[in-house]
Amino acid sequence: MTTVLTKMVARLLLLPSFVIALAMLVHGYINVGDGFSAGVVASSGVALQYIVFGWRESETRFPAWRFAPQVAFAGIMLVLLVVFVPVALGKPILTHYPRSHMHVVHLGSIEFLTAVLFDVGVFLLVFGFIVTTISMFARAAERSHS
Amino acid sequence: MILLLSLTVAVLFGSGAYLLMKRDLIRVAAGITLISNSAVLFIIAAALRRGEAPIYPLPHDGLISDPLVQAMALTAIVISFGFTTLLLSLIYRLFVMHHSVDQEDLADAEREADGELEPEHIWR
Amino acid sequence: MILALPLAIAWFSAVLLAPLNGRRRWVGWLSIVLLSASFAALLWLSVDVLRDGANQVVAGGWEPGVGITLRADELGIVFAVVSIGALLVALVYEVINGVHESFFPALVLFMATGLTGLFLTGDVFNFYVFFEISMASAFVLSGYGREQRQLRAALIFTVVNLLGSVIFLSGVTALYHVTGTLDMGQISRLIGERTASSSILIGVLFLVAFSIKLGLFPFHFWLPPIYRDSWPSVATIFAGALANIGSYGLIRFGAELLEPVLRFGAPVLIILGAGSVLYGSLQAITVRTSSEALAYSAVGNAGYILLGLAIGGSAGYFAAVLFALVNPVNKVILFLASDLRGWLAGAAFAIGAFSVAGIPPSAGFFGKLLLFQASIDDGNPWLVALIFIGGALSFLYMLRIYQRGFWADGKTDLFSPFWARALVLSVALLVVALGFWPEPMLSISRQAADVLLLGGH
Repeated sequence: MTTVLTKMVARLLLLPSFVIALAMLVHGYINVGDGFSAGVVASSGVALQYIVFGWRESETRFPAWRFAPQVAFAGIMLVLLVVFVPVALGKPILTHYPRSHMHVVHLGSIEFLTAVLFDVGVFLLVFGFIVTTISMFARAAERSHS
Repeated sequence: MILLLSLTVAVLFGSGAYLLMKRDLIRVAAGITLISNSAVLFIIAAALRRGEAPIYPLPHDGLISDPLVQAMALTAIVISFGFTTLLLSLIYRLFVMHHSVDQEDLADAEREADGELEPEHIWR
Repeated sequence: MILALPLAIAWFSAVLLAPLNGRRRWVGWLSIVLLSASFAALLWLSVDVLRDGANQVVAGGWEPGVGITLRADELGIVFAVVSIGALLVALVYEVINGVHESFFPALVLFMATGLTGLFLTGDVFNFYVFFEISMASAFVLSGYGREQRQLRAALIFTVVNLLGSVIFLSGVTALYHVTGTLDMGQISRLIGERTASSSILIGVLFLVAFSIKLGLFPFHFWLPPIYRDSWPSVATIFAGALANIGSYGLIRFGAELLEPVLRFGAPVLIILGAGSVLYGSLQAITVRTSSEALAYSAVGNAGYILLGLAIGGSAGYFAAVLFALVNPVNKVILFLASDLRGWLAGAAFAIGAFSVAGIPPSAGFFGKLLLFQASIDDGNPWLVALIFIGGALSFLYMLRIYQRGFWADGKTDLFSPFWARALVLSVALLVVALGFWPEPMLSISRQAADVLLLGGH
């Protein structure tokens, strides 16, 4: 699994997978894609690093991946807040703002809705969950082989 | 079209059920994956209409595609993905304990463990 | 707003407890406080629902057919109260005895989230999603403890229940395809107009899925290993909270959503229920260990619920609902008391045994009485004889378990923690109190069962 070709390809594919994930996250309302598929694509790029280089080298190069459980935690808290905060305001659960008569904030062609926050939360949760699982499997595999 | 999809769902479910009854635990996990995917295909087959996007204002004479089925299929895929991870972790834990993923070996190990226990302990 | 409150408290608590180490005492007690808060919100909601009628809200503010309906009616809320109560008792018991693994409190709260969500929903696919959340917590809980046998039982449990989930999902999909909606109220109105062949197939799918969950014969084979090899608190959670998904599913999907199919298949259901009662009771007498006997007792008791549903009508549904509510409470007492020593625990076990066998004064007596009444009204002498035989057999195996556990010499010198015994005894005293004063329990169950008779809302 660690030939020169696979190492080079793994290195090259990391950043494009993140970019594609971000594009899927943002375009989920018009085209194919949403938080879940974005999270899976991004974590596939990360999983490739773990498989080709092993967990030690990957986490040395990208220490941020050691915090994957915290990322998952932040993701699910964000999702739960989007779902339940409208209840505190007296509306039914999962009511999205802005409502149909209100003004929507735009950034180019991207709209800012609470639904986008929900999808970002799902993305963080899925990404954090998969990276945590892969890293735990990698550590356990190393422990059982040694 | 419906016949083709039904046959595919049946073949997927049948292969998955066949794999579920194998000795090797990895094949059992593969069988569960096939069965879950057959259910997802069944969901998509529940509304086979290709038409316009279901956003108001609707075209009066055209077909509208059904978004609910897509949402259900996506949810089912996510759920089965999570459960496959769980099942694989369980199989891995069994492997670490017994150094085998064969069900016969696991049953033998359990019978040995049974024989070593005192009668007092197995009261509970 | 109060409809979403129990779910919100349980879900937020579960996520907040997940990164904490559950083996520390303060984390355990924090989880008990949070689960009690969710339970209290549920009790407040139940008072509201029982007084004013069903409470309904649609997620996102859409109309009932378009959005996901969250609905708390009398049937769902009583099941939720019993299940979350059982979870709370199991959690307190485990924290008193010392938690073994760090994920236990968070998992119990995740299961509380799943159960609250599925009892308080009016949308079939939403039911599936919360059903899967509960099952995921159960799969992880089944591996609780470090012994080898528990892992293999956990594997069987996981694979069989995953299959059950897939069958349930197929049933939901078929229901959507046939009726065009996922809303429970609309489905119960539309199903009568659909062709019989498709409705019967859908009914069979749901029957199989919920029988696997509840542990009815012949789908019970996963049940004895997992009840035998688990820790008592985990077995309590399975018998007192998780099995309720099966009984609630049979009652809700059978008697309310697919009523024509239930009436059509009543003879088959009577045979299945009778088979479960006889098989479970006979096996419970012959097995070696007490926890296995309790597992087969669970299989046997599940059959009574199916019998009540098959008899049908006001009396049959009333009996089925009451039995389905009293049964988990009995199981909580039995599983927890069988792990303790001392005469207090023995008394609690005896009360639980009387309740299962249907001997007064206990809540279980009324369950059996209503079943007798329903089968007499139905005019079926075999059924009456069967229920009587089942009661006699359950008294027999309960006596054997009691003998093995509490009368044998050499065990009375070890005493378990006082608070654990006090906890189990207080639940047992509740059962006795309900036996002397059954009126609240009966009227609440009657209200819950009447929801089924009204049909569509």
